[in-house]
Amino acid sequence: MAATQKLYPRGTVKRIVKAHSNRSVSKNADILVRSFVRDYRSAPNAWLMREASIRSRKSGEKNISANAVRKVTEKTLRKFQG
Amino acid sequence: MSTPNPRNRKSLRDAGSATPSGLQRLPSHTLYPLTPRRLATTATPSRSVSRFTPRGRPAIAPSTPYGRNARQQRAANTPGRDRRRSGRIQRETTFDILKNLGRALAPTTQPIHSSPEEETKPPPKPRDEIEELDEESEIEAPELTLPIQEVEGSEEGSTARSPPRLSLPFDDDDITVEYPRRDISIRDQERLSIMSRNFGRPSDVFQDNQSDSDADEGDETGIVEDDGGEDTMISGGDFDRGGETADLGRFNLVMDFPSPGAMPVEDDMGDNLDETDGFELDAGDIQPVPASPSADENADAAGDFGFNFPPAPSSSVNSGIAGGGLRDDGPNPQSKEKKISRHGIPVPNLPKGIVKKLALRFSGTKAGSKAKINKAALEAIEQASAWYFEQASQDLAAYSKHAGRKTIDESDVATLMRRLVARPRSRRFELLC
Repeated sequence: MAATQKLYPRGTVKRIVKAHSNRSVSKNADILVRSFVRDYRSAPNAWLMREASIRSRKSGEKNISANAVRKVTEKTLRKFQG
Repeated sequence: MSTPNPRNRKSLRDAGSATPSGLQRLPSHTLYPLTPRRLATTATPSRSVSRFTPRGRPAIAPSTPYGRNARQQRAANTPGRDRRRSGRIQRETTFDILKNLGRALAPTTQPIHSSPEEETKPPPKPRDEIEELDEESEIEAPELTLPIQEVEGSEEGSTARSPPRLSLPFDDDDITVEYPRRDISIRDQERLSIMSRNFGRPSDVFQDNQSDSDADEGDETGIVEDDGGEDTMISGGDFDRGGETADLGRFNLVMDFPSPGAMPVEDDMGDNLDETDGFELDAGDIQPVPASPSADENADAAGDFGFNFPPAPSSSVNSGIAGGGLRDDGPNPQSKEKKISRHGIPVPNLPKGIVKKLALRFSGTKAGSKAKINKAALEAIEQASAWYFEQASQDLAAYSKHAGRKTIDESDVATLMRRLVARPRSRRFELLC
């Protein structure tokens, strides 16, 4: 708990969403967004990292490379398109 | 004369006086000897006087107290009869006294709504809104969990993916009709950092430009006619992106010019703004259109296509920067600077430590926590997460717009989550709170 408490600070999340959507964010929506990001299944990071690690493993690299991440990004973002 | 009464009276008159003009002799007493009420009123001395008035009967003051009481009762029971006699002074009841008093004291007042009632009405509304918000948040909590578990059994991914499939033939059907729309879509692909990677669905692109689409179409159809042969010279290698651009070769000019206007999406704002200024000066020799760098794309486009030759070099420069910045090279140099969204609002970066922590957490599932991430990879991850936030917030804006709201509500987030969670197959769900 203590290690993950500072995930995606609330104000930053709210500011990001507000800036991109040009709409005001209601009181608790940012909390939901934050919890959404933390969520294991729906977190893009989780998907991204999983896919990237699979890809890098396939290509024989030990660590996750930037190329793998970049190539996986498109697929992951498509998956998380609302 | 169809009623039987006059006949009877006639017969009576004939029997009494035997004159044929008996009808004209109404005041005579002998005409109505048999009616009991007339007989009852015969006792009053003023009877003959009152006979001549058409409404003589109520005017007669009853002599007996019984008569007065009866008349009072009648007047009380039938107030309408008193109303008809407008000229006369009505009998005053207590209510009339009070009414007159009220009229005398406050002639112009209106019925008063007491102030506490009016004050109590508005407060419930904000209370209701707040309660609704509370209720929504309470309701959403189960909504977040339920569909996830349900979806594990029934895969709704097929239904969720149907819209993009529908959109594909839509693009391929009528190319001639779709030129303006494609133009808009490609313009926005350049504008948005996400769209530049060709993730965008056409529905996403059209959503934001629906208000402008009419005007744009009008302008661009004119543009199509003007640019016929000259664009082939200019549009040489600007668009390598997809096979679609081959068809749209002559539109490459159109697509390039909005990009300086939309360049604030990228971080190298200053350079692009300078370029747009020079570019507009070239065009402005003949047409003084002071196009603001942020918005007026139509004005830009119109100005550009009046003069085909000056834009050519600037378009190549812009496209080179835009393409390079928007593609794979984008995330690396620009990650440290503060970005600006397409609405012109500065977007704060996600803290690097958090992204790294998350990445390590999610990557180190099998290999322990020893898996390391390069700097480049971390930057790529940061860029991906920024893109994800942009995408998600655009989706949220679309949801709230669809709901007719101006604020992104929890329900929008819940809708987005439901939609996203329905996509992947059943896997381990873990809420890391």
